[in-house]
Amino acid sequence: MTVAKAELKPDREYFPASKPWKEANGEVRLIGMRCPVCGTRAFPAKDICHECGNEKGLEPTLLSPTGTLYSFTEMHAVLKGFPSPYVVGYVDLEDGVRVFGQIEHSAAELKVDEPVRLVLGQVRTNPDGVPVISYKFRKR
Amino acid sequence: MINAAYISGVAMTRFGKQPERTIEELGREPLLKALKDAGIERRDVDEVFCGSLFGGTLIGQRILRDIGMTRIPITNVENACSSSSAALREACAAIAVGRAETVLVIGIDQLTRLGGGTIPLEKTDIEVNLGFAMPALYAMRARRYMHETGATSQHLAMVAAKAHEAGALNPYAQFQNRLTPEEVLASRMIADPLTLYMCCPTGDGAAAVVVTTQKRAAARGKPVRVAASTLQSGLYKTGFRDMATSELTVRTSKLAYEAAGIGPEDIDVAEIHDAFTSAEMMYYESLGFCGKGGALGMVERGDTKIDGAKPVNPSGGLLCRGHPVGATGVAQICEAVWQLRGEAGKHQVKGAKVALTHCTGGGISGLDHGACAVHILTT
Repeated sequence: MTVAKAELKPDREYFPASKPWKEANGEVRLIGMRCPVCGTRAFPAKDICHECGNEKGLEPTLLSPTGTLYSFTEMHAVLKGFPSPYVVGYVDLEDGVRVFGQIEHSAAELKVDEPVRLVLGQVRTNPDGVPVISYKFRKR
Repeated sequence: MINAAYISGVAMTRFGKQPERTIEELGREPLLKALKDAGIERRDVDEVFCGSLFGGTLIGQRILRDIGMTRIPITNVENACSSSSAALREACAAIAVGRAETVLVIGIDQLTRLGGGTIPLEKTDIEVNLGFAMPALYAMRARRYMHETGATSQHLAMVAAKAHEAGALNPYAQFQNRLTPEEVLASRMIADPLTLYMCCPTGDGAAAVVVTTQKRAAARGKPVRVAASTLQSGLYKTGFRDMATSELTVRTSKLAYEAAGIGPEDIDVAEIHDAFTSAEMMYYESLGFCGKGGALGMVERGDTKIDGAKPVNPSGGLLCRGHPVGATGVAQICEAVWQLRGEAGKHQVKGAKVALTHCTGGGISGLDHGACAVHILTT
């Protein structure tokens, strides 16, 4: 039984499971939303605009693959499933959307306002030890 | 008709790790003491509000059931770190509309039940799934604040040393030991630039206050008036958000100053949300105690020590008194009332007549913080 279960175990999973990104020409871009009425962009995509209340015509839009690192920290406190330490930060994409994510460097290699780009990679493991893949950032 | 709310009774347990007690016992202790402090009986209480983040279902009823105090309206309030400050605001509203004459407010949490580590956040949150935790949020804000103002790790360590200087004088504090800035800097890294002693501890505790009318408070003596009770929630932003200033704290405190008809310069003593030392510095600025970057000078000069020009957290604050999340808002009120009555003992701020309490927190994506509450109390 145990063997059968192990065989069924996937080698990876994605977060979010909907994989809200697109890979093309060596670039990874997040799929966000843009409000046709007021121009507000958001990630993750939503079905109502929080700025103007518009519910019509909100369409998925590809966000900028690059941005700057607004701030970051190297986490040494242990969180289940996460490596120790790991680095996280807030990135302001070039189209104005702010995205939180892990950064593929140690804090010593980074500075505030560092130019970064979006990549895909492992962010943690799930409770079964399976690698969880998501978007993260790397220095440009 | 709007009736002013007064505080006539306060009490709290010592904060710290108390896993051997049940959470109901923990809540009962300050409840009975607060009634005694107010000079009233159990039957005098018209209504109860209980603030808790991790206390579980019907925490207020569970505490009150054991001492035969149910059969009256009991409302449980969850608003992350601001749970019991939000509960207090509801109590003031119950007095204001004349629905009740005596209202009990309890704040409580027992974090040792959670098994240690950083406090658990909402599992469905996208950022939490990617590694967001409260120390990470405060550390990122700290780094940006340092980048913009020139503050250093030494400043962050000096705030912790100041908290310990005060906490050492407070019998209710979780930590009652002094620490030098060097010891703070040498403690293990949690989320850089924040070391262990720059972060508030986890612990257990409860606090209770009796909110009542002017008449009943005057009968007890040394009445303390609630001059402002304000609550706001964070502004949702999907783009740029200034994390080196707390927009939420600026907005909430501005409303409180307006309601009380005073300004930040009139505050004699403040109990603020120093969950991490960097936040204390940022909040000096967001509360209007100084301009942007002015916190550096305040820390260097020792302005916010008990005998300084602007005493902040004479109790030791969240860093030292401790932070059993749901209990903190009411514990801050207990401290403010003791300060205004002149009953704070060794950590008394001389001649304090106006006190401010500030309790904020809650980590969900897109918001500065979930909630922020500011109260202003006067003699």
